[in-house]
Amino acid sequence: MSIRNEPLLSLRGISKRFPGVKALDGVDLEVRAGELHVLFGENGAGKSTLINVIAGTFAPDEGEFYFLGEPIHDLHPHRARMIGISPVFQEFSLVPSLTVEQNLFLGREMVSYGMINKRAMRQMAQKLIADLGFDLDLHRRVGELSRAHQQMAEIAKSLLGEVKLLILDEPTASLTERETGRLYELIATLKAQGVGIIYVSHRMREIRALADRITVLRDGKLVKTTDAAATSDSELIELMTGRKIDVLFPTIIHQPSGVAVDIENLSVRGNRVNGVNFQARSGEITGIAGLVGCGKSELVRAIYGLEPIRDGTIRLNDAPYGCPSPHISIQKGVAYFPADRVAEGLALSRPIRENASMAALELESFSRLGVLNLAGESARIQQIMNQLKLRPPRIESAVGGLSGGNRQKVMLGRALTREFSIFLFDEPTVGIDVGAKLEVYNFIAGLVENGAAVVVVSSELPEVLALSNRLYVMHHGRIVAELQDDQKTEQNVLASFFKDSSMPTDTVQ
Amino acid sequence: MNVVAHRNYTSAIAVGRATMDVGIVPLLLLVVVAAMALVEPHFYSTGNILNMVRSASFLAVVACGQALVLIAGGFDLSVGAVIALASVLAAKTMAWIGVAYPDEPGLAIAAGVLAAMASGAGVGLVNGFCVAKLRISGFVATIGTMSVTLGIALILTNGIPVYGLPGSFVQQFGRATWLGLPSTIYAALGAIALLVFVQRRTLLGRYIHAIGGNPEAAIVSGVSVFRYQTSTYVLSGVFAALTGLLLTAQVGSGQASLGGDRMMLQSIAAAVIGGVSLRGGVGRLEIVTLASLFLTVLTNALNLLRIDSRLQPVLLGVILVVAVALDELSRRNSALDSHEPT
Amino acid sequence: MTATNLPELTVQPSATLGKQLQLFVLPIATTALLFGFALVDSRVVSPGNLINILQQTSYLSVFAVAQTIVLITRGLDLALGPTVSMVSVGAALAMTQFLDPSTTSISILLVGLLIGVGLGWLVGLFNGFVVAILRVNPFIATLGSYNIALGIATTLSGGRPVQNVPDVFTNVFYSGSFLGVPAAILFAVVIWVGLHLMLNRTIFGRSLYLIGTNVRAASVAGIPTRRVLMLAYLLCSSLSAIGALMLTARTGSGEPNLGGSLSLQALAAALVGGVSLTGGTGSVGAALLGSVFVTILSNGMNLVQLNGNIQLIVLGTIVIFGVTLDQYRTRHK
Repeated sequence: MSIRNEPLLSLRGISKRFPGVKALDGVDLEVRAGELHVLFGENGAGKSTLINVIAGTFAPDEGEFYFLGEPIHDLHPHRARMIGISPVFQEFSLVPSLTVEQNLFLGREMVSYGMINKRAMRQMAQKLIADLGFDLDLHRRVGELSRAHQQMAEIAKSLLGEVKLLILDEPTASLTERETGRLYELIATLKAQGVGIIYVSHRMREIRALADRITVLRDGKLVKTTDAAATSDSELIELMTGRKIDVLFPTIIHQPSGVAVDIENLSVRGNRVNGVNFQARSGEITGIAGLVGCGKSELVRAIYGLEPIRDGTIRLNDAPYGCPSPHISIQKGVAYFPADRVAEGLALSRPIRENASMAALELESFSRLGVLNLAGESARIQQIMNQLKLRPPRIESAVGGLSGGNRQKVMLGRALTREFSIFLFDEPTVGIDVGAKLEVYNFIAGLVENGAAVVVVSSELPEVLALSNRLYVMHHGRIVAELQDDQKTEQNVLASFFKDSSMPTDTVQ
Repeated sequence: MNVVAHRNYTSAIAVGRATMDVGIVPLLLLVVVAAMALVEPHFYSTGNILNMVRSASFLAVVACGQALVLIAGGFDLSVGAVIALASVLAAKTMAWIGVAYPDEPGLAIAAGVLAAMASGAGVGLVNGFCVAKLRISGFVATIGTMSVTLGIALILTNGIPVYGLPGSFVQQFGRATWLGLPSTIYAALGAIALLVFVQRRTLLGRYIHAIGGNPEAAIVSGVSVFRYQTSTYVLSGVFAALTGLLLTAQVGSGQASLGGDRMMLQSIAAAVIGGVSLRGGVGRLEIVTLASLFLTVLTNALNLLRIDSRLQPVLLGVILVVAVALDELSRRNSALDSHEPT
Repeated sequence: MTATNLPELTVQPSATLGKQLQLFVLPIATTALLFGFALVDSRVVSPGNLINILQQTSYLSVFAVAQTIVLITRGLDLALGPTVSMVSVGAALAMTQFLDPSTTSISILLVGLLIGVGLGWLVGLFNGFVVAILRVNPFIATLGSYNIALGIATTLSGGRPVQNVPDVFTNVFYSGSFLGVPAAILFAVVIWVGLHLMLNRTIFGRSLYLIGTNVRAASVAGIPTRRVLMLAYLLCSSLSAIGALMLTARTGSGEPNLGGSLSLQALAAALVGGVSLTGGTGSVGAALLGSVFVTILSNGMNLVQLNGNIQLIVLGTIVIFGVTLDQYRTRHK
């Protein structure tokens, strides 16, 4: 690991304003050649904005930007790539209907006499893939690849051409252990070649393994840049949140009684879920852990009625439930909280009141014979939002103006509008800062202590370990472990990924 | 899933994809042709076949232009009106120059062709500007330009055909046959071949798919969405104008009634049946050409079977809806199987 | 200490002076337009013409409101025009050809009404089915039904108007009046009030807005989106049918071209009034305001004897203009 001391990238006093919010406020950042520099901070701290400024997606309002000693103005994504800044984003920048090869060269095709030189590009692409050691089929359409392979294609694309500064935004979110290992090797090689790397991650273990220096952002401002070796985990969290977090998770009292959800041999179309047996009991939190794409989301979605079922049975409170659909699920007392609140949960331009009451419009307190009781609705929703401590408590504001934590509160408010006995949470705290997470956990704890059956699906191991009484682990669509009591440890969860040896580990899903 | 089953699954997908790539169009074509052979022998007369092939080539030219716009994620409803305007402008220009320089039919023809193409390009530029710069949806922008263009064409003619075309244009080109095929076909095929080349081998062809498939990815990769999307509208306009020219040559006069809603609808239907997805990013011009042939053969068959011409829009409407519904369905199915979000 | 409000990118609700100003733009523009035309030809503001404008607006507003309902759901109905033609021809035929002279007036009226609305329902059901169940883009779906309805209208009528619509029909839907209010205006007002109440105070109305804003979220929350969408298109066509009956009564015959460019006019009226193509917004008030504007515009153009083709051009430009404004509004909210 050789770190030369000329700064590759030097940002000073970078500020960026968007309508209504100052995303970056006087941030300094320095990245050296051959260094892996972690960007650390809560959601909304400004990491994405900073990365976008570096990659040229938009220009900063103020500040100085130096790359390789040269001042940079009017940067746009294409030019950024040309000078060696190569971002790999979470939301892929690949065109699904084009092949891997076509995507690799998008925007920088090799052209002779106005025509695309396919042969030259193919040679170059094949060499790159071979060098990287990725198993990627250049001729497959990107839309047909698994998420992991798409991630690999994205990384390959960023490494085509000369790269001086690589930006990785949560790159291992969808990768298996083996692919993650390949990525780490790649990173080591790049560092040895003098490439600077900006790495965004929440995962402590990753940060420990990779980081040379860490820059912590909070609320758009720079908190501190520090050597990784010199800072402990708890110090990092304290820097990130600005307060000492003693209790990240509440203590939950589980009192399991009857089986509320009983799944037998469930498979969905497309095989994201394959022959799954699962049970959730009232008075207890049942967790489902696993990597992104393992099928845990699809399992609860199938129960609720959002995934087409191919095989198997579902029983709710001992009664069979065939042909699930959201409408019927709600009638039966099943509530579902989607992972993507913006796409599947909320109507952003409508007021909080309408969003919270969406699932309960036919109830007596909200309407009679199809005619809405607007006063009754207002009163009830206001009451609920006060109970959930929504600040500021104005239920006529549009949901779109709320933070992630408050948006989740609106969704939680929905849970209180009618009688639910089964709650399915899909990534309940994604996009929510640490302070608000605690409120969500307390809410969930309250539900369980009132006797409901709660299922929590989460890709965050610490979270799902702390919340569940019983924990299922899923991998490639199957249940690979069911853990409880002292068996419910991080080691056991990770180990269970390797147990299922009848599965070739690099199968395309 | 064990490895063997997985391999079978993958090859099944490959076969399915290949079928989807080529589509059911060749099959449909075969069915109609075979059925007609049994029912109506007149179908196979030389005159009828030449007729069909010529009509099909006209439709194919418009449909290919429309397909380019659709692939890039847009929509061009103004093609029918552009055909009308091009016809009227070409005829007027040729007639006017023909009167001013009666001994230079070549000049008149050249001027007419230029005027027509320019009008097509002009409408295309306006469309492109509205869609790519003002960010108006293609549907609405081109509904607007459709009205405006048609209005202009109607004003120029007051509903009366424009006569005075140079004889050579009509006799030697529009209504003649070269080597046994209608001469206008060569122009049409040439134009289509050019577009196919553009789609396969140039940046424009590649970028159109990118813009239609994932505009953000295209932008981030440095592709100028404005330039390429506008180009598709200009090409569509120019090709619609070309069809207008060819129709005018055949009919012998400039008419604001050429093209119209009927041809606009047919161009979209041909594109969709030919495998172009309305979501953008997918489509091959060769298949669109085949689909144009299919639609023409079908219309011809209906005419021969004496189905009322007033009912033909009904059939066309149904076909359009069915074609799109099937496209949606198959897209949804394949998305489910390959785990894409639907 | 409260949870920090994260500096996320958010959609800011606009309660600023800017938005309030927007509310006045259209009425001001409309009045300006009226006076502009009046300067060219003073007949524009004569009492007779003003009443004319009021009546015209009544007719157009029925169609604009119909279009608004599906616009709220992020759809649109291109087939509105041909639906009107089809209903006109069909109802006229039913009342003139298929009843013997001794039928009672009430029966004739009922037949006309039932056949008319029934034909409208056919189109509405088709549209609703294709959009909600087959999940086809509303534009394509109604482009298809546009052609289907047009074909049926021309075939049924044989290309010629169906003459001699019974008097009782004309009376009820046009020349009659109730408490001094002409029939057309009466129907229009009932529709305005009824639809306004529906949109603001019923579960169905609320569902329309929610579906138009985020159909996925509405579906996940248990709203029967397919059923609501189907009903929306059905309602739109029903209203178009009633409008068609009103227009038929006025012309006295079933016209295969009655619909003409009504789809475009109704769309233009709604868009100008502020209904967005992207769904989730819209109201009877907006449809009304837009109808007034478009009516004054075409009334003025007719009075100054502007060529019909130029009027077409103007209409097209209005649509583009209206949509651009709409885009601008959405992006700067």
